[in-house]
Amino acid sequence: MILYILRRLVSIAVTFFVVSVLVFLMMHSVPGGPFDGNDMPLSAAVRAKLMAQLGLDQPLHVQYFNYMAGVLRLDFGVPYQSPGETVIGLLSRAWLPSLVLGGLGVLIGAPIGILLGMAAALKRNSWMDYLASGLATLGLTVPVFVISMGLILIFAVWLNWLPASGWGKPERWILPIIAFAAIPLATYARYTRSAMLDTLNKPFVTVLRAKGLSERRIIFQHVLRNSAIPMVTVFLPMFIGTATGSIFVEAMFRVPGLGSYFVSSIQSRDYPLEMALVLMVTLMFCFAYLISDILYALLNPRIRTGGRR
Amino acid sequence: MNLVDISELTVSFRQHEGLVQAVRGISLRVDAGESVGIVGESGSGKSVTCMAMLRLLREPPARITAGKFEIAGTDILRADNRTLASLRGRVAAMVFQDPMTAFDPVFTIGHQIIETIRTHRNVSKAEARAEAESLLRRVEIKQAKDVLGYYPHQLSGGMLQRAMIAMALSCRPQILLADEPTTALDVTIQAQILQLIKELQAEFGMSLIMVTHDLGVIAETVDRVVVMYGGRVMEQGPVEAIFDDPRHPYTQALLRSIPGHAGGRRRLTEIKGASPNPANPPTGCPFHPRCAAAESACRESMPVMVAVGARHDAACWRLQ
Repeated sequence: MILYILRRLVSIAVTFFVVSVLVFLMMHSVPGGPFDGNDMPLSAAVRAKLMAQLGLDQPLHVQYFNYMAGVLRLDFGVPYQSPGETVIGLLSRAWLPSLVLGGLGVLIGAPIGILLGMAAALKRNSWMDYLASGLATLGLTVPVFVISMGLILIFAVWLNWLPASGWGKPERWILPIIAFAAIPLATYARYTRSAMLDTLNKPFVTVLRAKGLSERRIIFQHVLRNSAIPMVTVFLPMFIGTATGSIFVEAMFRVPGLGSYFVSSIQSRDYPLEMALVLMVTLMFCFAYLISDILYALLNPRIRTGGRR
Repeated sequence: MNLVDISELTVSFRQHEGLVQAVRGISLRVDAGESVGIVGESGSGKSVTCMAMLRLLREPPARITAGKFEIAGTDILRADNRTLASLRGRVAAMVFQDPMTAFDPVFTIGHQIIETIRTHRNVSKAEARAEAESLLRRVEIKQAKDVLGYYPHQLSGGMLQRAMIAMALSCRPQILLADEPTTALDVTIQAQILQLIKELQAEFGMSLIMVTHDLGVIAETVDRVVVMYGGRVMEQGPVEAIFDDPRHPYTQALLRSIPGHAGGRRRLTEIKGASPNPANPPTGCPFHPRCAAAESACRESMPVMVAVGARHDAACWRLQ
């Protein structure tokens, strides 16, 4: 197991390196530069001076190694669009609303989705099942900005119960969190339903019944445990959506989170910020998958024991 | 008193193509300590009968009716879930066909046997564990103590079937239902498992209901045979009578189709045609489309069971 984790850590390092090179190359291959904006024409001399200051006049591979050397010291540079702070400073400031929005969204959406999926699987073809499947289909097919607009229309405009946008006070969090929770809710409802039905149809469930176990015991001790194995593999990676998937929700509700920087850093050729965001998401995905693979192995004796005694 | 007392049992399944009649009015009585084999081709309704005895079929789509349906004095048809749960595993235990899929893959063998013991008996975990170990030893598993800690995937099919038998015996049931217990196993293991079941039946003084398509299995393990075809009982009687003096044309054809019986080298004769479609069964006797001796009466109605010997009955128009 330890060997396995070490192997995975090495492969994460390789992934990290490959992604950094690819993103760096793609970023610089996009035509234009940070000072090409038409709204603030700069003289050629000032521009050259700025480029030299930022090291942008050096060959690409030198720029890459300079930047990565900084990354290893946890120095991601200074964002061009906000030169008064460091990239780290900007991220840690913008991170909090995204984390609250995404984290609460998953923590509220996933359990409701799991409960709905369980109810649907246990009462197959009942109104409960149709409700859960209907909600899940809606959540997965209707784009999140349409859900967001619907929420704003109903609760802010018509009912006037909640503010339409902003972030400051907790009551402003409610609508974006609901909008954000739709996807984990729908994904989990579908996933749980199919995982439970899959387990319920296994022959060992009939054997458990034939042994005289109560239905409750069969569900909670055996079926849930078996169904949880495929479910953990999607749970952690879903949290990563809190950083990237909230772009639309944040835009619709004007939440001052990370989401907007993903777009603006690309548009304004803000190389240090763009690199930092991509590398951060890469690492988060790598570790989320690593942790869910470890959990998977811990829950599943066929992997834990290596298939041999 | 009969431990199993079933009359006019029907089991049907509601499906897209209509009502599928798997069991069409059978009667079955089993005395305490008696061993009965239910034999038939696939689709004869034998396994469904076995599952219905513990109400293990999902209802709906399954629908069960019976004139009488009692196991150890309990009315199975009217019993609530609690009564059924307390009967399953304690009064009547079951050994299933495929041991590889019969255990929950995420719990150890020990856990699953101990859980069975503690469901029905008020004993401590340590006592249940000791009992589980001695049961495993009784079914001739070496290193029983280690096996308790193994997961199902770490054992072979034969070992798992032994463990399943140990689990079935763990609450000292009065009836052991064995649904094709050797079909999924290697031929070399089959005989050992059958021998083990036979020994344990005598040792525990249980009744045994052995469901199989294999006449060889029947010949070796049971006292009495029930031959099923198309959801009905064709013939039943003591094992010697069925093998030496079969009276129903179906039983006769079945015996001609297995090798090594009735001595000498001879050509095996297959039964022509296929078993009836349970969604649209033939009228009258279900065997008549394949029966060489079929008459017009066979097409019109099902013959009743008549005695053809001591405790030996058959349902055929030619015997009426």
